Amino acid sequence: MRFSKILLLALLALLAGVAIAYLTPSKSLLGLFAQAVIYAIFALGVGVLLRQNGLTSFGHALFFGAAGYAMGVILALDWISAELAIPVVLLGIGVLAFLIGLVIVRVPGIAFGMLTLAIGQMAYLLATRSRGLTGGADGMSVSWPATLFGVKQSVLLKPDTLFLIVWTVMVAVAVLVIWILRTRFGAITEAIRDNEERARFIGITTTVPRALVYALSAMVTGVAGLLSSFNAGFVSPESLHWSVSGIALVMVVVGGVKSVIGPIVGAIVYFLFKDLLGDYATYWMAIFGATLIAVIVFSPDGIAGALERLFKPRAKHGAATGPRGH
Amino acid sequence: MLTINLFNGLVYGSLLIIMSSGLALIYGLRRVVNFAHGGLYMLGAYIGYTVAMYSNFWVALVAAPAAMALFGVLLDRYGLRLLQDREPLSVMLVTFGLLLILEDLVVFIWGKANYSLFTPELLNFTVDLLGNQVPAYRIGVIVVGLSVALGLTLWLRFSRIGLFVRAASTDPVTTSMQGVNTDAVSAGVVGLGSALAGLAGVVAAPFLSLSPHMSSDVLIDSFVVVVIGGLGSLAGAFVAALLLGMMQAIGAVYMPQLSVLLPFIFMIVILIWKPSGLAGSRT
Repeated sequence: MRFSKILLLALLALLAGVAIAYLTPSKSLLGLFAQAVIYAIFALGVGVLLRQNGLTSFGHALFFGAAGYAMGVILALDWISAELAIPVVLLGIGVLAFLIGLVIVRVPGIAFGMLTLAIGQMAYLLATRSRGLTGGADGMSVSWPATLFGVKQSVLLKPDTLFLIVWTVMVAVAVLVIWILRTRFGAITEAIRDNEERARFIGITTTVPRALVYALSAMVTGVAGLLSSFNAGFVSPESLHWSVSGIALVMVVVGGVKSVIGPIVGAIVYFLFKDLLGDYATYWMAIFGATLIAVIVFSPDGIAGALERLFKPRAKHGAATGPRGH
Repeated sequence: MLTINLFNGLVYGSLLIIMSSGLALIYGLRRVVNFAHGGLYMLGAYIGYTVAMYSNFWVALVAAPAAMALFGVLLDRYGLRLLQDREPLSVMLVTFGLLLILEDLVVFIWGKANYSLFTPELLNFTVDLLGNQVPAYRIGVIVVGLSVALGLTLWLRFSRIGLFVRAASTDPVTTSMQGVNTDAVSAGVVGLGSALAGLAGVVAAPFLSLSPHMSSDVLIDSFVVVVIGGLGSLAGAFVAALLLGMMQAIGAVYMPQLSVLLPFIFMIVILIWKPSGLAGSRT
């Protein structure tokens, strides 16, 4: 796909967001949509790592929660303005993840997943036990200023504006990620993912690009963490727990690993289960678990992959048999 | 203070031996990091609780592992065997989905309340250990843990089926070419591993309380043990389980703030030094 076409699609996606905001009848439903979109950004980050590095993270909740906590601490101590704090926090998360990545991306396979799980759980345990500013197990409130970028907080937090903001951020992040991965850097990381040894033979240093992908995926997840802390005005240790990372990973796989937007599909499906089905069925988690198993068994490339097959089978078929038939 | 902590560390280490040997066995044969193991542990504890209510603890100690063994055989036959050519991540997430289902199943049957199982009459007394009064039941837990370790080692080392298991976990294809029914071996091993999870659940029930979230901590600690020990290595898992228990015990005395972090720090250090774990050769 050409990049101009992707920009066109992004524009369409933005328009779709506006349409959703205006067509959704209930405000509370729109609030739930906003939450789903925030988790979609979270999952997008996890998906980037899995797709581009072939590495499974069981600890991305670390970056999700850390963004909220960092923002909360900065705002509580009143170090810098909130507008400046946003890029500072994201950059901080990027640097932190890059340093962690330099050490752990060398460890292959399942051990990598377990390392991320360990690092994430350490942060969770520290957050539950720390007293003072971060509030221990009770969590801390993130006191965003009354006006942000010159707009009143009450306006920003209205369901339709909030939804439009998070939707726009999601589209922007997705385009940015697609753009970064289409550069030479993206090609290098794919080469390393497919065969690290050969990549080394042709003179590519392999650790730094992988750590950079790890940092990129952490920053994307950090964006989701910031939005979530803005939406809720609150951050708790629960946001750091490994099960949050696990759910994000599930979103990625249910949605489809192979495409960048697969994780977004997965997040939406998850929230449909949680909030719409959750109202009627107490045991929605079990139903979601069953769906997860069904998707993995019957459509290994996720819902996005299934949709693609649904819409494209004829074109493929025709291309394969057409020329030979005549 | 230190004695009693070391003792409790040994108790927890023994529980981890029972849990993680099951995980290691299943990983060895099926190359699956089994999240459902936590669910089986929990289910074992609840089934044990109900059986103990209607009869007594000793019946529960047999019934719950037996039920889990059956579950494990079915899990292998209708789950892991069909998925054996899939990517490890997919299979891992299938077991994660199974864990979600099992957690809701427990809430469905037993509700969200916390339960605790009474210590069986026979072991409801205390023993003097170097001037400390320790419950006899906990000594029983250590005995069970060490018997599991010893029993598994002897079984794998000296029995004919143990030989098949070792062969199949080294190279399943060659083993089946030699005429061993590796599918049957796998079903048996996954059954045994699941039974061990159930056993761990029943054994833990009188001293850890039962709740739908009880599996999380023990599951994560067992993962840490199995990864430190070297995935699929039983001996490594035994050593790592005891080390982990001891480490938490000593940490609780000298640095109480950090003791919960110690297992993770230990694991990170080991994995960076040796990515395949203490006894592992494969990754």
